[in-house]
Amino acid sequence: MKFDFVVLGATGDQGMIASKDLLESGYKVLLCGRNKYRIKQLLRHKNAKFDYVNVRDINNTAKVIINSGAKIVLNCVELRLNINVMKACLKAGVNYLDLGGLQEMTIQQYKFDNDFKKKKLLVLLGCGSTPGIANVMTRHAVGQLDSVDHIDLGFGWDSNIKEFVIPYSIESIVYELTTAPVALENGKFVNSKVCYYKGVTNLREVGMQNIYCIVHSEVFTFHKYFRNKGLKGVHYTAGFPEHSHKVLKTLIDLGLGSSDFVKIGGNEIKIIDFTREVLKSNKKPKDYKEVENVWVKVIGKRLGNNKTITMECITKTLSGYEFAGSNINTGMSISIMAQLLFNSLINSIGVTAPETCVPCIEFFKELSKRRMFVYENNKKIN
Amino acid sequence: MIGIIGLGAIGRIIASDLHKFYNGKVVYIVRDKSSVNNLAKKFNAEVRFGDVNDPDSLVNAFKNLKVVIHAVHHEYNIAVMKACLKADCNYIDLGGLYHFTKKQLKLFNRFKKKNLLAIIGMGASPGITNVMASYGSRFFKEINNIQFLIGSEDFSTYKKESPLTNLYSIQTIIEEFSWKPAVFVDGKTIFVEPISGREEYKFPSPVGSKKPQFTIHSEIATIPYNLKSKNVSFKIAFDDSFVDKILTLKRIGFTVDKDIKIKDNKVNIMDTLVNILKKLPRPIPKKLNQYEIIRVIISGFDYYGYDKQVILDARIESINETVNKDTGVPPSIVSQMIVNNLINKSGVFPPELIINDKLFFDELFKRNIFIFCNDRRIN
Repeated sequence: MKFDFVVLGATGDQGMIASKDLLESGYKVLLCGRNKYRIKQLLRHKNAKFDYVNVRDINNTAKVIINSGAKIVLNCVELRLNINVMKACLKAGVNYLDLGGLQEMTIQQYKFDNDFKKKKLLVLLGCGSTPGIANVMTRHAVGQLDSVDHIDLGFGWDSNIKEFVIPYSIESIVYELTTAPVALENGKFVNSKVCYYKGVTNLREVGMQNIYCIVHSEVFTFHKYFRNKGLKGVHYTAGFPEHSHKVLKTLIDLGLGSSDFVKIGGNEIKIIDFTREVLKSNKKPKDYKEVENVWVKVIGKRLGNNKTITMECITKTLSGYEFAGSNINTGMSISIMAQLLFNSLINSIGVTAPETCVPCIEFFKELSKRRMFVYENNKKIN
Repeated sequence: MIGIIGLGAIGRIIASDLHKFYNGKVVYIVRDKSSVNNLAKKFNAEVRFGDVNDPDSLVNAFKNLKVVIHAVHHEYNIAVMKACLKADCNYIDLGGLYHFTKKQLKLFNRFKKKNLLAIIGMGASPGITNVMASYGSRFFKEINNIQFLIGSEDFSTYKKESPLTNLYSIQTIIEEFSWKPAVFVDGKTIFVEPISGREEYKFPSPVGSKKPQFTIHSEIATIPYNLKSKNVSFKIAFDDSFVDKILTLKRIGFTVDKDIKIKDNKVNIMDTLVNILKKLPRPIPKKLNQYEIIRVIISGFDYYGYDKQVILDARIESINETVNKDTGVPPSIVSQMIVNNLINKSGVFPPELIINDKLFFDELFKRNIFIFCNDRRIN
């Protein structure tokens, strides 16, 4: 079977969501990963097939991609392996989308811009919820302004049952909560204190949330693409419900987010791997539901007047995707962008981000089909 | 000769106490000899190799020792006792968290037959608690209730605090928070939920109000039978923030005693957690100043048939040292009693049946551990 897409990391949560969305949209998908057992249900689909891939082996990854016949790869593996997958895609001559690389990895990824441009291939960085939906919403808002001064953005979420469920990849959470965030202030990147408390905010559907300044790639890409519009400031904040933040903080404080190894009965165990597996072994409470608000506030000028545009995307736990909670906005978003690329609605080449090339209206329309609703200054627009 | 197996935090306190109060030879038994070379040099002790997982190595290490103080974890109690039987030496440990204690008592005849003595649970609690209960029991014709309560307060200043300030072995604490505590009620042992019974209790100053909780402990395995009390309970208080952290780990599955697959390896979740927590940086004190109160409340009828209540406190003020000294000091004292032939029985005994309270309290006094009976100091 010739495939339309290859999903790397298809056995992880986001890979599963993206694969399910692609398959339900009628595409042929090669699901790649290391633990076939986790996706046995998805593999019952007639358009799905599995291949064992360890992306640490770049040559073999490229070989699997070439043999699939697909021209688009969705990279849903851990972000520290993004460069490996990009190299495999370059070798295989295919387009690449990923879920983001935070600031550090994103900067490394841009170094491949010429290589991909030469081959007329696209690398679309940060195609999840944030980065991803947030970037397209920003593009939509910035497009309405003559100049942009400042962008604040972030996310907040909560659940109906106040029990701890890991909200997204523990590796990403640990990185975000332990790395000094970089903000753009007065046109310059500045480091601030790790995960510093920024106060309380009231978010649509989520309610009051404590927000914390964390590291995220949008600060870098917004500066790259909107500085010619006068952008001087970008701040990124994350909102966690108190019950979740407390647990995450405890895990980190007690060393359970560490990448160090611990010796157990003659085996070396990576601590973060242990933490991930223990957390994964917890069952979600019955009838557990989440709601997430990804938001962007763009402050600028139009026709000489000050103007603020607030964009929000609301995601709730979706029937059939209960395993994913509000995380569907990450896996589904990369699936939508991949489909837009497949259908030639995205036409860029080189390494870029969604705010430069993803058509806003078409993207929002697809979000709406999946019950993710976008608001512009309190008015639903999709 | 007195041997100490295990030179961790408590083992080192025992070593220090023996250095101060014992003139005979002391032998340190460890897996990694280099880890105690400096200490041995400082305290003029001999170092021998011994691994609790390798019984033969223990028998070799115990040669010619009069008594072995076992300061490794309680899961090795039986193995070390058996090595003592083979090596013909007496044995002392720091407790068996109820379940191990029950098993250890079954070795009574084997120790008796070899004319050897094992004293089990000879730290602070169990240990000082048992001797205090035994002392207090003399005022009663009939005992209705014995309550053990422990509270402490840390007034130290730190250069650097630790994310988890555990006063004793983190493995023991995790087990205490996970295993169902035994409580002796109306003549029967029942098991209640871990961390239950957490209610405010006012200890004397400077400890003040704390929230002690039921905890699995060795005292319940022996005291009800030896002191003939109808009810016996044990509670210990931890800081709210400490309890909160351990409870968080418990709620999200990190304290269960079962295996999990991590890539190609299977590991026990609780063991792995303990190993990770052991790697946390220790606090760096500027000035240590800790205070602990070990309280035993006995109620019942006196010899005239009147209601009676006796409150015994061990008050441990630790300036420039940790309150853990109350766990390290008793085995040192009792090992010296054995060496000096002040205890001459054979078999396996908990402290309440074998320790002369007067001699023991006098020795505690020398270490600034003061015993009070109904608020009157008795040592």
